[in-house]
Amino acid sequence: MKKFLRPYLAFLMMGSLIVTTTSCGDDDDPTPTSDKELITTVKLILEPEKGNLVQATIKDMDGVGGAAPVKETLVLKPNTVYTGETLLLNEQENPAVEIHTEILDEADDHQIFYTPSSGLNLTVAATDKDSQNRPVGLATTFTTGAASTGTLKVVLKHQKGTKAAAPGNANAGETDIEVTFDVIVQQ
Amino acid sequence: MIIVFIDKNLQKLLLLPFLLFVQPLVAQQMLQPELRPEVKQDCGLTISGKVLDHDTRTALPGATIYIPQLDRAAIADAYGNYHFHHLCQGNYTLKVSFIGYTTETYSLRITTSTVRDLQLHSDAAMLRSIEVVSTKIIAESQSTEVLKGRQLQQTEGLALGRALEKLPGVSSLQTGPNVSKPVIHGLSGSRVLILNNGVRHEAQQWGDEHAPEIDALAATELKVVKGAAGVRYGSDAIAGTILVNPSPMPDTVGVSGNVSLIGNTNGRMGTIAGMVQGKLQHLPISWRLNSSIKKAGDSHTPDYILKNTGFEEQNLSAAVAYNREKFGAEAYYSLFHSKTGILTSAHVGARDDLLNAIERGRPEETGSFSYNIDRPYQDVSHHLLKLKGYYTTGDLGKLLFTYAFQQNAREEFDKDAPRHAPEAPELHLDLITHTTELVWEHELPSAVSGSLGVSTIWQNNTYEGRQFIPFYKNFTAGVFAEEKWRSGNLQLEAGARYDFKDLRVKNLDRYNTLSKPTYKFHNLSGSVGALLDVGYHFTFGTNLSYASRAPHPNELFADGIHHGTASFERGDPDLTSEHALNLSATLNYHTNPRLNGGISLFYNNIYNYIYLQPAREPMLTIKGNYLAYFYKQTDARFYGADLYLTYDLTSQLHLNTKAAIVKALNTETENTENSKYLPGIPADRISADLQYDFNDHTNSGLSDSFVSVGGLMVARQSRSDSFTDPNMPAPEGYFLLNAEAGTTLKIGRQPVILSVSGNNLLNTVYRDYQNRMRYFAAETARMLLIRINLPLVLKQAS
Repeated sequence: MKKFLRPYLAFLMMGSLIVTTTSCGDDDDPTPTSDKELITTVKLILEPEKGNLVQATIKDMDGVGGAAPVKETLVLKPNTVYTGETLLLNEQENPAVEIHTEILDEADDHQIFYTPSSGLNLTVAATDKDSQNRPVGLATTFTTGAASTGTLKVVLKHQKGTKAAAPGNANAGETDIEVTFDVIVQQ
Repeated sequence: MIIVFIDKNLQKLLLLPFLLFVQPLVAQQMLQPELRPEVKQDCGLTISGKVLDHDTRTALPGATIYIPQLDRAAIADAYGNYHFHHLCQGNYTLKVSFIGYTTETYSLRITTSTVRDLQLHSDAAMLRSIEVVSTKIIAESQSTEVLKGRQLQQTEGLALGRALEKLPGVSSLQTGPNVSKPVIHGLSGSRVLILNNGVRHEAQQWGDEHAPEIDALAATELKVVKGAAGVRYGSDAIAGTILVNPSPMPDTVGVSGNVSLIGNTNGRMGTIAGMVQGKLQHLPISWRLNSSIKKAGDSHTPDYILKNTGFEEQNLSAAVAYNREKFGAEAYYSLFHSKTGILTSAHVGARDDLLNAIERGRPEETGSFSYNIDRPYQDVSHHLLKLKGYYTTGDLGKLLFTYAFQQNAREEFDKDAPRHAPEAPELHLDLITHTTELVWEHELPSAVSGSLGVSTIWQNNTYEGRQFIPFYKNFTAGVFAEEKWRSGNLQLEAGARYDFKDLRVKNLDRYNTLSKPTYKFHNLSGSVGALLDVGYHFTFGTNLSYASRAPHPNELFADGIHHGTASFERGDPDLTSEHALNLSATLNYHTNPRLNGGISLFYNNIYNYIYLQPAREPMLTIKGNYLAYFYKQTDARFYGADLYLTYDLTSQLHLNTKAAIVKALNTETENTENSKYLPGIPADRISADLQYDFNDHTNSGLSDSFVSVGGLMVARQSRSDSFTDPNMPAPEGYFLLNAEAGTTLKIGRQPVILSVSGNNLLNTVYRDYQNRMRYFAAETARMLLIRINLPLVLKQAS
């Protein structure tokens, strides 16, 4: 019996030794990693034919599960045509990473959909095309009608393998970004 | 010397009148040849024990034990127990025989009453003529189910979780067609302990889509202990314990083996498995090599291909054992590797994606059959090294020492390759575990048997890349004792265990701040039980057990999105251990010519039950809306019943029925506006099959031929609502038609065992509540599993 107890006790002691030494020493701490593909910021930049540049941003700096996103309201003039540009940024990095350029590189698998709420006199059309001549949505035209208020939902879909099957289907694919801007169209 | 001689003769002389009087009763005892003169005669001794199958350890009721010295015989009872009373001290020979087994002779020298189990080897020539009869032998008061023999063979080709579904009260939690985790009485994950070849299987069990890394084909017995079973293997076994046992190492000289080929029509799966084992002639060394390779492509439902649901698995194991009567040692190594594709369209972002998928009613991408495994997939490998030694402590028992090392590496690849590192997995977890155990198993002459032991676990969990569960080091030490006492038709059992757990976590939060919390847990478990034979046909067992489980680092520190369910999960670092108090009662009606059966009832109260509670408001993020779930503790109650019945219509036609019900309640929210139900609980089910065994002609070359037709009916989980299942209500119930057939063919001297199992023969379109893919796709269509098995005798003892 002793013959077998001895190695066991030795092992037990060894085991506890490992525990004590490893718990004292600061060995192998996890190293912080950054999610390079994280999108923290959605920015709309709209340029009217004449007049001032309009901007609105929605930011979520701490990712899913942290604080709620911070929103800016988009204020537009009635009966105006704007040339739009949508920027997607990772502002956790410095300088900010321009994710929209990576989306443009993978334009065949992505599309941004713009859905104004009913009652809001706004139409949004994508003006850029991927290699298959399908809309991408990073470059747009915003056209307003009479004064009104509402919301604009902006959704970036990752449609790997499904964009070709159902082009222009806002329900296909996986959501990378989904934000809703408050919009006011007023003089 | 002279005095001794006279004394002996005097004794005989004095006994003479007595002997003449009771001669018919005890004459045989006086026939014993060698009575040592110096030993004082004691003729009130008993030899008792069990007659067991050497390989499966099952009792052999009806076996004959004959003592030629006494010309007395006994027949093992329904539990394989035999006994001889009123024996004198001396040397005896026990000749044990049973149909289908080689007759064995055991020599025993008896000085006190002795308990001795007798083991028989199945006769190789008659091997195939033995059938697993539906007699249930009950050895424990706790509800226990065993899958072995032909029933186990009929599950070959299925994953471990699916194979265990054959047992009443056991179901499985699935993620698509290839990932299944066993569920006992509605509980799974860390609450179910799996003992793989006697070693606590340590992997990332907490994950719903993490199947046990165990080759089901290497097992010859799957045993499930239902209900809190923490005493022997660790107090965290709140739901139960699953023992995956290979057959014992060969103990007859020679080399034998086995080759199996398994094919599956759904997914075009092919498996080849082989085993060789042997025992050396001049040394007490036996060895075994086991390997299996599986490869499957996309499965399909009746309507479409389940894109990217192929998988592959490779297993290898080797064992060497050195066995002397006094002591022995065994070394075992196994490697498991699998690569499992996950349904492409089951990877969703925000909740709207999930609702779109449900609305669509079928996967977004289907495509055509392929063996390719693309993203998303899992790649898992598991190494196990086990060293075991034993030392016999006199007649009383055995001292066993086991050390095991396990390394589990899990990589999960999401649907979209990271742009900056296209080959890298999104999740990479490494878990290293050392376990030790020292146990003294004993059988005392006073009809007490049991085990005493100590065990330790040391673990180190690390990851590469992003954190999903933190770095942690876990040290657990436990002591336990469990004893059984048997007298007549009553068996009493009691056991207790204490575990100390030291958990040191290194957690990086979402702002990359490192914290190093430490935890200490003291977990107790215990059980008391009684088993009573009421007459010859009824056995009644009841058991009250207690177990407590420390929270897992996942439950403490989860903080992120769970892909596939469009949910966000957050742990709670302040969780405490959960405790289960489990009462079970089992009644078995057995050894009857026609009707046999059993029912077991359980009532499990879990205090501080850790579960994911959905929040009322969805979580708003820049990536859309997510359902938010938080780890909380509540008091829960699980209760229900398992039932089985067999009826032999004729000697060849048998009807088997099984049913299981589990009810689960959140007792804290029972009378509030929140749901009183708990999510993910198995729906009520009943299965039945009718089996016909052919009377094969001896010269037909066929043996053991059978056909069976059966069905499985699963009800809708009505104990669910919009709180337990916020995205999609529990799917409708379903009925599946299944059939099986098999035979053993003899080609020359080589037996060839053939069988085929057909599942879902009617091509029913259905979804199962316990499949996490039910939002995206239907279950698989008709499937035929075809098996060819060749037992090989390569070299026999010369």
